[in-house]
Amino acid sequence: MNTQNRTNLPLSLVVAFMGLACVFPFYWMLRSSFMGNLEIYSYPPVFFPKVFKFENYPNALTLFPFGKYLVNTLTITLPSVFGILLTSTMAAYALARIDFPFKKTIFALVLASMLMPGTVTIIPIFKGWVALGFPSGYVPLIVPAFLGGGAFNIFLSRQFFMGIPKDLDEAAHIDGAGHATILFRVLLPLIKPVLISIGLFAFILYWNDVLGPLIYINRNDQNTIAQGLANFRAGFGTDYKAIMAASVMSVAPAVALYFFGQKYFIEGIVLSGLKS
Amino acid sequence: MSRASTKNAVAAYLFLAPAILGLVLYTFVPLLGVAGMSLTQWNALKAPVFVGLQNFKEIFTDDMFFGTSARSTIYFALFTVIIGTVYAFLAALLLNQKIIGRGLFRSIFFLPFIVPSIGAVIVWMWMYEANFGVINYVLGFVGIDKIKWMGDELTATPALGLMTIWSFGNFIVIYLAGLQGIPRTYLEAVEMDGGNAWHKFRHVTLPLLSPVILFNVLTSIVANLQVFVPAQVTRGAPNMTTLYMVYYIFRTGFQNNRFGYSAAVSLIFFALIAVVTAITYATSRKWMFYEGE
Repeated sequence: MNTQNRTNLPLSLVVAFMGLACVFPFYWMLRSSFMGNLEIYSYPPVFFPKVFKFENYPNALTLFPFGKYLVNTLTITLPSVFGILLTSTMAAYALARIDFPFKKTIFALVLASMLMPGTVTIIPIFKGWVALGFPSGYVPLIVPAFLGGGAFNIFLSRQFFMGIPKDLDEAAHIDGAGHATILFRVLLPLIKPVLISIGLFAFILYWNDVLGPLIYINRNDQNTIAQGLANFRAGFGTDYKAIMAASVMSVAPAVALYFFGQKYFIEGIVLSGLKS
Repeated sequence: MSRASTKNAVAAYLFLAPAILGLVLYTFVPLLGVAGMSLTQWNALKAPVFVGLQNFKEIFTDDMFFGTSARSTIYFALFTVIIGTVYAFLAALLLNQKIIGRGLFRSIFFLPFIVPSIGAVIVWMWMYEANFGVINYVLGFVGIDKIKWMGDELTATPALGLMTIWSFGNFIVIYLAGLQGIPRTYLEAVEMDGGNAWHKFRHVTLPLLSPVILFNVLTSIVANLQVFVPAQVTRGAPNMTTLYMVYYIFRTGFQNNRFGYSAAVSLIFFALIAVVTAITYATSRKWMFYEGE
């Protein structure tokens, strides 16, 4: 947009102000997590704790067993991320690299299902799991990830596959490679950025999910982090310092993961070029 | 069909099997299930009883929550998507200028997107708190009296909407990607014809990004109509104005154990989403910015 090469100072100030507003809730969460009751409920609000009450964290941990919740969350999240990556790239490969009957119809169905509101069917799906003998537990939360991995992810990896010359497949085919070898050995290594961004998005989705666990997990010791935080908020609604400490613990891993993967994250979306 | 192409077709369908299974088992069959269940009374562990359209009759004549819930859900989604789209687009435009610390600010604007919505609701409700909250404190400097954000029927949904818009970082990144994909020559052509920044924006940037905007608007309308976590925290307060649909479905089903009734609400909710999405799409020609029409 801008053809000048000089830094735009007024706009920089506007952006800095908006950026401040973006990080402020993080700061407020962190600052509140280190305060005592008196300070947290003082008005006008104190912007910086006089004394850092680090004991808020161990205190919160007695009611909010973060370690256990973390293990539970990863037990659901990691296999789900794997399932999403595996089955969405498989579908994308077929749609991008193989000619077969009804390809257009299936692709259209996949595209249309992007607008399918998943929450509309939580009731019959729950009854379905009950009928199958899984009224609760992790199975109903993990299995759906292995059923195609989401229309948008199929679409995104298909876009990337379309951008890779087909000669590669043909060369591998002449060397005796089958479709599975071409997909997993030849093509997947070439689209690493998009795999990382799909994986991160999926991780965040599962990490943050509250509705699924509320439906399928009813034992306290099986709670996920997000679910545990929701229950903690509902049970100890006025103990804000403990809630803030628990919130910081719940948010921190996602933030850390983002900074670790952000290079790929943004590249993954940008390179897709949003072309159809 | 030749042998090779038969083999290819078999391979393709094997690769697509999980996705097709997902479409069938997690979309088509459950949709039929919702329709079927909506005609039953299916309470807790008892067997379902066919009751015809009785659930729908109750929803439309005798349900004191349904109407409020549907209205506030639509209000929430429209508020969030309209203001959020303007915000995300503006932010992307700003982050595409020559500004100080551009890379850093791109990360910062994106960051709220990854925050678990339950964490966001907790800290925002704390900031919105009427007596001790920092937002009322800051507004005090410009002479605005204390607002009961989450305690007032008028402000609760917009307050939750602003919180949601805060987390629209993914849309900023997508618009930014679109902006960077605009060929420089198009913008230079406008300059050669004596056009200014507004002309470039209006006749190049907007038309080229319109398909992306439409896609984002449609997906985020569908996503935000399905808002759940804020309502799970507020329990619908104040006076049911934040009793959004998915929470209402969840409550009638999993808390009140009225699964048939909950399915009927789900089915109406599905129709409602379809109508809102269809209207958005159908009118998009009017509010979008394609050239030469």
